[in-house]
Amino acid sequence: MKILIAEDTADLNRVVTAMLEKFGYDVDSVYDGEAALEQIDRSGYDAVILDIMMPKMDGITALKNMRSRGINIPVLMLTAKAEIDDRVAGLDAGADDYLPKPFAMKELLARVNAMTRRKTKYSGSVVSYADFTLNTETLELSAVNSVRLSMKESELLSLLIQHSGKELPTDFILEHVWRTDDSADSNTVYLYVRYLQRKLEGVGAAAQITGKIGGAYMLTAK
Amino acid sequence: MSDLHTTVSTDSTVSIYGDARPELEQTMRMLFEEIEKIRSEMATELGMDPIEHLLGRIKSEDSMREKCRRKGLPETTESALEKIHDAIGLRVVCAFIDDVYTIRDRLLALPHIRLVKEKDYIRHAKPNGYRSFHMIILVDEKIFAEIQLRTISMDTWAALVHHLKYKKEIGANTALISEELKRCADELASTDSSMQTLRDMIRELR
Repeated sequence: MKILIAEDTADLNRVVTAMLEKFGYDVDSVYDGEAALEQIDRSGYDAVILDIMMPKMDGITALKNMRSRGINIPVLMLTAKAEIDDRVAGLDAGADDYLPKPFAMKELLARVNAMTRRKTKYSGSVVSYADFTLNTETLELSAVNSVRLSMKESELLSLLIQHSGKELPTDFILEHVWRTDDSADSNTVYLYVRYLQRKLEGVGAAAQITGKIGGAYMLTAK
Repeated sequence: MSDLHTTVSTDSTVSIYGDARPELEQTMRMLFEEIEKIRSEMATELGMDPIEHLLGRIKSEDSMREKCRRKGLPETTESALEKIHDAIGLRVVCAFIDDVYTIRDRLLALPHIRLVKEKDYIRHAKPNGYRSFHMIILVDEKIFAEIQLRTISMDTWAALVHHLKYKKEIGANTALISEELKRCADELASTDSSMQTLRDMIRELR
């Protein structure tokens, strides 16, 4: 497990690095937001710890930059004080968790453990329903035949599998799959359902999605 | 159907097709005409030409003789016309996937054409990712022909893989390259499916 820490207070940076290394993490440390971004582009990380107040580029800006480029590494924000606005800004910018300073090393370790555990559990997961499988990492949908789905198709199908046999209203699907995309509407959901209907048929899956435009959709076995 | 360009035989004294060559050519022309008829009917119904391109060939003397040898058959006219069924080969490349099946159905509905065998490598893609619809037909209960139908995407994949001249046994990374070629085929198939869905929706809105 590889962690990047961006914290401009040298002492704190050193202590956190030493502690994480002691618990088996491979740690790189930098002292500002710009260096954090450069390091992320250069190397792969399982989690990033970002301080908010840093020279050159603050943590929130660095985080927004990462997320806008589709970099979804889990991020723990360190907030200077227990300022609610700071925490909200961090979470809104795409942070997975936050920790107000001063904090106990034990708690930081527990939060980093939790964050990396979530990621391991999530990645490479294969979900199946009826006679087909969906690999949410490679986006492969397969039954008799196989095709590669787009990211949104995979997310929509995962959601339908999670709630198979239940009717999912269009609004519920929009909230879960098109969270931040304001241009998506009931037509978008309908089109993606249609894509999946045909692709399920194309791979010879014994399952179907039913429902009408603007209404609720349901995945069932044939 | 890899030999779309007919080559002149080295053994030009006796043709493996005997004196049947004019009949083969006549049958191929007839099949072209039938497909063109289906094409213009569908163009009227769909408001678009369903066929991207249409190719045909009589298998070259050399390829036919080579195929006889490979199959352990004597190099005779009987082998070339009765035992081997692709002396005539046609390839119909469609824009959209549904049109592949429509053309298949309409060809087989013709009274003088009988289906001998078909292999649906679209619904059951080959393990390497190859997709195409193959059928052997018998024309007038006499002349065999092979017809391959596929989409532009499937044709593109097959053409690109052919250009790579990639043989499984050569070099390292074999598994990775094979998997990636398969992934490309599966992505193209996914796009074919999406484009068909879009065409369906556009037509419903009209």
